[in-house]
Amino acid sequence: MADLIAAYDLLTSSASAWIYLIPGLIVGLVFGSMPGISITMAMAIFLPVTLYMDFLPAIIFLTSIYTGAGFGGSIPAILMNIPGTSSAVATTFDGYPMARAGKHNEALGVALASSVTGTLLSYILLLFLVVPVSIVVLKLGPLEMFVVAIWGMSLLGSLSGQSVWRGLLAGVFGILLGTIGMNTAGFVRGTMGVPWLLDGVPTIPAMMGLLAASQLLNLINTTYLIESEEARKLSFAKILGGVKLAFQYPTIILRGATIGVIIGAIPGVGSSISNLISYSETKRNAPDGDTFGTGNPKGVIAAEAANSSSEGGAMATMFALGIPGGGATAILLAAFAMHNLIGGPQFIAENKTVVYAIIFSNFFQAICLLFVGLLFVYLAAAIVRVPLRFLIPSVLVVSTFGAFAITNSLAGPMTLFIFAIIGWAMVRYEYPVAAAVVGLLLGGLLEQNLIRTWQISRGEFGYILERPGAIFIFMLMVGSLAITTIGKRRRLRREKLMEQRALSPDTAGD
Amino acid sequence: MNKFNRRTVLKIAGGVTAALATPAVLRAQEAYPSRPINMVVPFDTGGYNDRLARAFAPFLQETIGQPIVIVNRGGAGAMLGHTYFMQQPDDGYTILCTSAAPYIPLNILTQNAQFKIDDFSMINLPSRDYTLMATSADSEIENIEQVIEQLQADAGALSIGIQPASADLVNVMLFADANGIDRAGLRLVTFDGGGPARNATAGGVVDIGMVGGQGFIPLASKVRPLVVFDDAPRDGWDAPVITDLSGPDAQFVSGSQRGWAVHSTFIEKHPDRYATLLNAIEQTSKDPKVIESLKGQKLATDWFGPDVSNKALVNTGKVMEQHVELLKGT
Repeated sequence: MADLIAAYDLLTSSASAWIYLIPGLIVGLVFGSMPGISITMAMAIFLPVTLYMDFLPAIIFLTSIYTGAGFGGSIPAILMNIPGTSSAVATTFDGYPMARAGKHNEALGVALASSVTGTLLSYILLLFLVVPVSIVVLKLGPLEMFVVAIWGMSLLGSLSGQSVWRGLLAGVFGILLGTIGMNTAGFVRGTMGVPWLLDGVPTIPAMMGLLAASQLLNLINTTYLIESEEARKLSFAKILGGVKLAFQYPTIILRGATIGVIIGAIPGVGSSISNLISYSETKRNAPDGDTFGTGNPKGVIAAEAANSSSEGGAMATMFALGIPGGGATAILLAAFAMHNLIGGPQFIAENKTVVYAIIFSNFFQAICLLFVGLLFVYLAAAIVRVPLRFLIPSVLVVSTFGAFAITNSLAGPMTLFIFAIIGWAMVRYEYPVAAAVVGLLLGGLLEQNLIRTWQISRGEFGYILERPGAIFIFMLMVGSLAITTIGKRRRLRREKLMEQRALSPDTAGD
Repeated sequence: MNKFNRRTVLKIAGGVTAALATPAVLRAQEAYPSRPINMVVPFDTGGYNDRLARAFAPFLQETIGQPIVIVNRGGAGAMLGHTYFMQQPDDGYTILCTSAAPYIPLNILTQNAQFKIDDFSMINLPSRDYTLMATSADSEIENIEQVIEQLQADAGALSIGIQPASADLVNVMLFADANGIDRAGLRLVTFDGGGPARNATAGGVVDIGMVGGQGFIPLASKVRPLVVFDDAPRDGWDAPVITDLSGPDAQFVSGSQRGWAVHSTFIEKHPDRYATLLNAIEQTSKDPKVIESLKGQKLATDWFGPDVSNKALVNTGKVMEQHVELLKGT
């Protein structure tokens, strides 16, 4: 309790520190919504500035950028099918179809509300879970990570569309792409002698190519992103409607936030998987699961609640262990260090006041994000009124710049170009592009952790019995799959019965 | 009537020209740096070199009088960043902050790099890492003797977390040779970076880890150090050093050597500019204010100077060349 009061004192010690909150959020939103500018990049650019600030304003500024950028990535995902970061992939699945159907206002509102609630929930969970999370995180071995990656892959089934085989083939293609480069044991595969591929295919340019450019090429004969003129309006009321809509599905948000916190806490995995798992879990559990991928707002809620709450998970790892879960937390640790707060397992014990202060300031940030975000989203939605003959070339140019910014070389734009062609061909021949993207994101993770498991166990299957954590995660996955399959079967049987009754009126009368 | 005759006009004109010309000549010679300097970091944001560059740059730019711009060029074990740096003009407006060892020798020995060690000239390599063998704080392994005993009986008895193609890997092999442990039987578990390998060590996912010791400092309370691969105690680790364990002529390689470098051709082409830059980095490194700030961030600022730094890099390169087969895939 004394710590909480001290945290309150620290937060209220200087009112002027709070003037950095809104600029931080705006910087985050702007950078996050630019395809190709990562959260890490945005924070790294502003890190030197904070050297000249006091501790509190510096941390408020940087964490505000983190919070803002976390949501910013979903704006291009919804409006242009470009995931600004890998954590917004699942947002494109339903967000973009919603935008094309003229529900861009609602989609953005839904995304914003789920992000804000996801962030809030994750920090509430964080308040209680910091210590247990930290114990679990270090114990996670390659087998556990492998099972988590497999869980992510279970999404392939739901992305397949009409033909399961085409979906699996696209997924395998993605996994193979994900294993290009030097593997964890130091062997180089599939680079064709190109040094740029040693670290693998640059993921974000490849994703932008597959998802965005391929879509844009298919839009060439259309005049506007949204066909009907009335639907092309910017409506604050409809954005607010989207916000309200999100709150009608508290279970989806809560599930997304829990998945986000837990997966986000795993160093090096984080939000790029949590949004996929949350999406696939929600899809399988929803009675209208079949309409996912065609513009179901629940898909957007699931994805956004999970990717924004991963921020809290990553913070938990950072606070509890002093190790960065990803690039963004590495920058935060550097900022702490500049103010003589050293990371490490003793961090939370020595700096409880600071940790609580950061958690509380994130509550405020999430609430402010709702208002700043509403305004930002309203302005961003104006994109739907731009005729496609201007929009497509501009988006292609911005994506190319973004791809260049990520790799700092022509390798990015070239990847974008090649994958745009692959994406177009896949759409043309009815292979699900999203399945390839999921494979690409998870392929490397799957392979590397499988190799490490094999190295540790020397190929003996008995090793599985030594890892109760992995067994637990695996059972959880199988259980979740089984429950939904049984549930679906029952529902189908019930529907069939209803149909039969409807078809034979004489029995229905009994 | 006219006060200005032809001669006066000429004199004035000449004087003006001379007055204008003199500083121009001086400017060309002395005004380095007259524009911002790029500092290339061949790694992504957040790693040791990036943190070092970003922590040092604000002080260096005060000393040198021009802004320093950090340029991250990560990828392929610094290969892409080093190649990029070599392609930049050698005019002193692009300098390098890198883990010179092991990455420059690695690029050359295993990745067919188009450059040689001599193409780089070190100004100062303040951070000198060393391999630390450690185990989880709650592990059953108490000391290095126990490790040797177990590995001698069965080389695969313990899983060893390590980075492929690293100085640590060379060290584990030299350690095995020195203690009669079968190299081929070792159970190596490879990680993509020092961070994941250290986490796996601290969490007991692998039995022992062999990773750069400086990165272990923040995790010190979660690990038990077993042996330090250097000839003198480092960072207060409560463990024997390798020269105590295997004798004074124990074979080992030093870990990452990180710091500032320039093109070798820069020194020949612009000796005056080189002197300015060298002086600025030396002065900044020795500034008590800088030392305090970097120390707080667990970053090194020790001044060794160009001679010692270059020699250390060349020596490491030579030892790595002897063990080149170890560096090509695990």
